Amino acid sequence: MTTIQPVILGEMPSLSKLYINAAAQAARRRMLGSNDAPDLPDARHEVRGVAADVGNLTAYQHLIGETASDVLPAGFIHALAFPLAMSVMSRDDFPLPLLGMVHLSNHIEQSSAVLFTEQLDITAHVENLRGHRSGTQVDVVADVRAAGTAIIRWRGVSTYLAKGVFLPGIDKPSPTGGRTDFKAPYPTALWQLGVDTGRAYAAVSGDFNPIHLSVLSAKALGMRRSIAHGMYLASRALADVGAVKGDSFSWHVDFEAPVFLPGRVALDISTVQLPGGPWRESDFVAWNPRSGRRHFAGTVAAL
Amino acid sequence: MSVEGQSASGPQESSPQVAHATVPTPRRAVVVGGNRIPFARSGGAYTKSSNQDMLTAALDGLIARFGLQDERIGEVAAGAVLKHSRDFNLTREAVLGSALSAETPAYDVQQACATGLETVLGLANKIKLRQIDSAIAGGVDSASDAPIAVSEGLRQVLLDLNRAKTLPQRLQVISRLRPRDLAPDAPNTGEPRTGLSMGEHQALTTAQWGITRDAQDQLAFASHRNLAAAYDAGFFDDLLTPYRGLTRDSNLRADTTLEKLATLKPVFGRNLGAEATMTAGNSTPLTDGASTVLLAAEEWADAHDLPKLAAVVDGEAAAVDFVHGKDGLLMAPAFAVPRLLARNGLSLADFDFYEIHEAFAGTVLSTLAAWEDEEFGRTRLGLDGAFGSIDRAKLNVNGSSLAAGHPFAATGGRIVASLAKMLHAKGAVEGRPARGLISICAAGGQGVVAILEAL
Repeated sequence: MTTIQPVILGEMPSLSKLYINAAAQAARRRMLGSNDAPDLPDARHEVRGVAADVGNLTAYQHLIGETASDVLPAGFIHALAFPLAMSVMSRDDFPLPLLGMVHLSNHIEQSSAVLFTEQLDITAHVENLRGHRSGTQVDVVADVRAAGTAIIRWRGVSTYLAKGVFLPGIDKPSPTGGRTDFKAPYPTALWQLGVDTGRAYAAVSGDFNPIHLSVLSAKALGMRRSIAHGMYLASRALADVGAVKGDSFSWHVDFEAPVFLPGRVALDISTVQLPGGPWRESDFVAWNPRSGRRHFAGTVAAL
Repeated sequence: MSVEGQSASGPQESSPQVAHATVPTPRRAVVVGGNRIPFARSGGAYTKSSNQDMLTAALDGLIARFGLQDERIGEVAAGAVLKHSRDFNLTREAVLGSALSAETPAYDVQQACATGLETVLGLANKIKLRQIDSAIAGGVDSASDAPIAVSEGLRQVLLDLNRAKTLPQRLQVISRLRPRDLAPDAPNTGEPRTGLSMGEHQALTTAQWGITRDAQDQLAFASHRNLAAAYDAGFFDDLLTPYRGLTRDSNLRADTTLEKLATLKPVFGRNLGAEATMTAGNSTPLTDGASTVLLAAEEWADAHDLPKLAAVVDGEAAAVDFVHGKDGLLMAPAFAVPRLLARNGLSLADFDFYEIHEAFAGTVLSTLAAWEDEEFGRTRLGLDGAFGSIDRAKLNVNGSSLAAGHPFAATGGRIVASLAKMLHAKGAVEGRPARGLISICAAGGQGVVAILEAL
């Protein structure tokens, strides 16, 4: 395997510029026709010496329901790496349109606690372009290491769907049976999400995607109302799992029906632990308490 | 003005001088009596009374009943669940406003609905260890006069404004204010970690244990009937002082019937999928009120020519992992009681009175169901089978919180004083002192339970 030298960025890219570029790119592609080579760029983008802002960290922890400790929550690191991941997807040689991509699932593995005082090197790349019954999906991978070291402490794989985009040479997967029926269990928690939930998470995560900010900005992008950030919901579930997960764990979430704001979300967390044995994993599932539709489900497990 | 020194003599030593570094022999702590004000539904007779007002009223009634004017009590402990931050010394302020000696020390306790019982147990332990000879335990809560906080946005602006040094800095801070920051933040009964209200949590437990609507209404009906009968019999004549025009608990419906209770619409657990069974009739309402209990060493009670109603035998606290539904929020007493009884060599049947706090009828019935469940006994309590069952004729015989109401921190004092009186009246049963069990559940998945014995 050949090692490709990373593209080193001087600083973390600005998300707002990336969103503007994405809009410009979408317009350009509409006029000129889209890139017809269904290949992903090999490039890796890297930013070195990234440090968390402690004020922002505290605001994030309080919003998510984490205790304001010196350890970066796994979802906070996702937010820290997110602009870099976006910068890979907004490259001209990235074959899918960035705007309107749907976050299908997210998988994070963290081997040890990352403190806010640490300088971090973050790398992002895309891989695994593949078909989906309603479009094309791709994985965006971010790796986090302590500055100047080689050991990956945190790895996040975000799977996005470009809805309605079918690239030549990429087949739809054969249908694998229908969705399993979901019967809501008794909830262990009930979240009341205000209409400003998206704005509040945007303020601490930097993700000002208009579909999360207000009814008007969401409608402009074809949504009925604004929706909660998937990673906000998943991070709250992770916080709810609590201290039992320790410093070394995997955290997987599959997103289903979006959570429109304002709204109520019912959550169930069930713990898998043999009698007298150590904690193995906590499974979580969230649904709309009125309609019973599933919003997301996932697992936090010991590594 | 005459200035008197405080007596340097500590608690009366009835045993010989203890040698250095040895533990003094514990002695008995007894309940002398109690006093409370009638409990009022929130928004009723005590709407404008503060926690300090009500606690002082209950305290002054106790002082009058037992002749404690100018008495220096060993220590007073009380608390409130809904407490304003300015009331950091609530109990000491109530003591200063009462007829007790101003040299009486006091401290606040806060353990949700177990606050009142915990003050009794903590002070009884100090008496048993000969640190003090007398004590007053208590609790108070006002749901009407509840503290209201400013919004988080406004609070941050005000704090930063205080830290800003220059005019431009101050203006910059003020510019952060948004109209929505002006909306206040009222307290609620939701559990911080789950967002579910206490009633919604209990609805899950009620459904889990299959407690029927009818069983809950029966319990509520019995509570009202028993409390009304106790008032009619004069049971509360020496346990209560009128306040703000109330002479009885305003939640008491002496004329309620099972038919009336059956007409009420469910208020909790309507989104669970199971049948909703919890109504305003079989749940406690938000209530205002205060209660106090006078505790003492026997020598102190004798020296003051005061009655000794019952001994505080032992107590136990427990907590459950309710956050992810392993156990119900209010089920901690189901674990605390078996531990307490095991330590005291008693079984569940060895009691003459059971005082199980009626946070909701479903709470009492779920706890009893757990104790009667073979599997719960084996897998959760580590017993050979079910923990046991009780004679329901001995349960909450003079009514409990469903009828009296439940001013959170005041409930423990109400129960301890009433039970001590009942035990004293009962005297001996089959050659042993009459025995009573108290069980109180609390927010945060906690519970505190205790044993009292007749004197």
